[in-house]
Amino acid sequence: MMKKTRAAAIAALGLGVALAASACAGGASSGNSGGGSSSGGNVTLTFWTNATPGPGLTFFQNAIKSFDAAHPGVTIKMQNIQNEDYDGKLQTALASNSAPDIFFQRGGGKMLAMVNANQVAPLTLTAADQANVSAAALAGETLNGKIYAIPMDQQPEGIYYSKDLFKQAGITSTPTTIPELEADVAKLKAINVAPIAVGAKDAWPAAHWYYNFALRECSQATMNAAATSLKFTDPCWTKAGNDLAAFLKVNPFQAGFLTTAAQVGAGSSAGLVANHKAGMELMGAWDPGTIATLTPNQKPLPDLGWFPFPAVPGGQGDPSAMMGGIDGYSVSPNAPKEAFEFLEFLLTTPEQKAYATAFITLPVNKAAQSVVTDSVSVSALQALNKASYTMQFLDTQYGQNVGNALNAGVVNLMAGKGTPAGIVSAATEAAAKG
Amino acid sequence: MSHTLGTAALGRGRRGAPQVGDAADTASPTPRPRKRRGRVRLRLEIALLTGPAIIVFVGLVIFPVALAAYYGFYKWQGYGPPTDWVGLGNYKIIFTDPAFQQALEHNGLIVVLSLVIQGPLAIGLALLLNQKVRGRALIRVLIFVPYVISEVIVGTGFSLMLQVTGAVNDALHNIGLGFLATDWLANPNIALWTLMAIITWKYIGFAVILMLAGLQSIPDELSEAARIDGASYWQVQRHITLPLLGPTIRIWAFLSIIGSLQLFDLVYIIWGQYISGTAGTSTMATYMALNGRLAGNYGYGSAVAVVMFLISLIVALCYQRFVLRRDLRGAVTQGVN
Repeated sequence: MMKKTRAAAIAALGLGVALAASACAGGASSGNSGGGSSSGGNVTLTFWTNATPGPGLTFFQNAIKSFDAAHPGVTIKMQNIQNEDYDGKLQTALASNSAPDIFFQRGGGKMLAMVNANQVAPLTLTAADQANVSAAALAGETLNGKIYAIPMDQQPEGIYYSKDLFKQAGITSTPTTIPELEADVAKLKAINVAPIAVGAKDAWPAAHWYYNFALRECSQATMNAAATSLKFTDPCWTKAGNDLAAFLKVNPFQAGFLTTAAQVGAGSSAGLVANHKAGMELMGAWDPGTIATLTPNQKPLPDLGWFPFPAVPGGQGDPSAMMGGIDGYSVSPNAPKEAFEFLEFLLTTPEQKAYATAFITLPVNKAAQSVVTDSVSVSALQALNKASYTMQFLDTQYGQNVGNALNAGVVNLMAGKGTPAGIVSAATEAAAKG
Repeated sequence: MSHTLGTAALGRGRRGAPQVGDAADTASPTPRPRKRRGRVRLRLEIALLTGPAIIVFVGLVIFPVALAAYYGFYKWQGYGPPTDWVGLGNYKIIFTDPAFQQALEHNGLIVVLSLVIQGPLAIGLALLLNQKVRGRALIRVLIFVPYVISEVIVGTGFSLMLQVTGAVNDALHNIGLGFLATDWLANPNIALWTLMAIITWKYIGFAVILMLAGLQSIPDELSEAARIDGASYWQVQRHITLPLLGPTIRIWAFLSIIGSLQLFDLVYIIWGQYISGTAGTSTMATYMALNGRLAGNYGYGSAVAVVMFLISLIVALCYQRFVLRRDLRGAVTQGVN
């Protein structure tokens, strides 16, 4: 009887060890499928995206189908990951050598970290590829002269506003300077709506006000230099904070903006615009889509308009420059060459047209821009094409670490707890942590 | 030294009380020949029964803690293996960062306020609910309900109600107390007190249930005897119930302190990922999430986790050593002199 117990004990222990061992080994075995630059033969590519079920995911399913059909032997396996979970999962996969062959790339500081760790492949674009993508968007995915991701769309930022509310308030033309904007704020207050909605609970929407003031105050060279030095010594950074502090004096934002979320629910800043409770919102090009899901009938807001961030007199930045985001895709260093071919395929005009329609966004391929027809996006696109340069959102450009500190500094200033100089010093201190 | 301190503090340490350690040392003697096999068998049994728990504990607790300690010495973004050794650099930044000091201060306040507010309230409610009141069972259930509701739901609900244009301010306006309406969540002078109110509402049920259980285990004979001797209701509570409730109170306080030190979810839900520092409700855990995971500084975040772990560990050990000691020794606490 005792022998039995002992055997059982050993078996149980052995099982436990085996389970633990297999759990550890799980990640390593599902490594890279293709291995190097295979051609011909059967290739399976893994592809990770943050697209949500709906038109966006359908677009990728169709694109994969047509790519697979044109490339016999190639199979692309797509995995869509919820946006907020995406970074963590990707990071785990990269760390455990089970990186997907093609993956969604946020760019900026995150891409820099991947490049430094040799976890993303430099890409060589052909002349045909170059023709399919705007140089400005490509510049945003370039580090040290090498391209590390293929941009899919551009999301320039500007102020979305309700034409009806502007009319009610007696505003005849959209503001082009900050004093004009301040005058419009007063007019909107007079008709009892919140002049500007901002979702400061998420920090970045509030910080975007500072980013845009910085874009107007700082020269392109200064902003680019800060991306590598992470030093914010140029006086323009503090000046941008002073501009924001001065703008805050007219109380342009809705009551309780500090605990307002940006995109979720009718009480969010996008929801306030969607329900005519607020006149304007500073946001990226995805905003019409977000607002459309929050209107009472869940249809696009019919009276939505758009204008670029107003000019700041005396700033060193170009008044036509725009702040924005770029969504791109990267290729893992060990991925088969078909991975890059798929991205080239996504840049072709028909695919870009389908992409822009599915995601309601602005394609990087100029030949595909004809699908952008709604007046709001057209005005954003025109401004984008006229922009002398575009700058990525600073929390992407300077990495999430410094970005977070900038964001927190701006929120502190808005809450009356901080100073313009505090934004700059918070960013400098954060640089020490990363 | 600590031993004498312990007994001195207790004053009436019972030397005669059986101790757990003694029992194990003086195992009952067994006949010689069977001893070896018995031992092997005993060890196997111990291995079998504790094996799974040890594997889980080592794998999911000790190993991650060790890893965090290792990562804490690097500047590391989480991509590739850590290479940028900074020694104690991360820790230097943590302890000089005003944001961390504020978070620590908030944690300290929450620890103290939780004890001061919830303790007396819970004891009072438990005493009340230990009486024969009509609808006692219902009240007991109702008071426990908030504890059962998930933190996410509590947080979302309160964050909606406490908005400037939310239900609470509307209600205040409607009953003519509009002057009390304020920005409950965003005003740094008020936000921490709002948080304390929510925490109290959420966790008082747990404290009350613990106290009630403690009260049930106090023999009625003692209070009966006291009453026969002429003690008033309050005298009975003061001199019999409260002292006998001591072990329960001390365990509850321990759980409350540890919970307060690690408070994360309610703050994270109500104030979001970024603005708890601005609103004055940040805790060490939200600081860690913001500066570690969200900022992508996994090395720095690990160092913060280690600091949190050490602070909690030191507090827990001190509490066990100096406060819980008499309870853990299995002795019944003495009542009145």
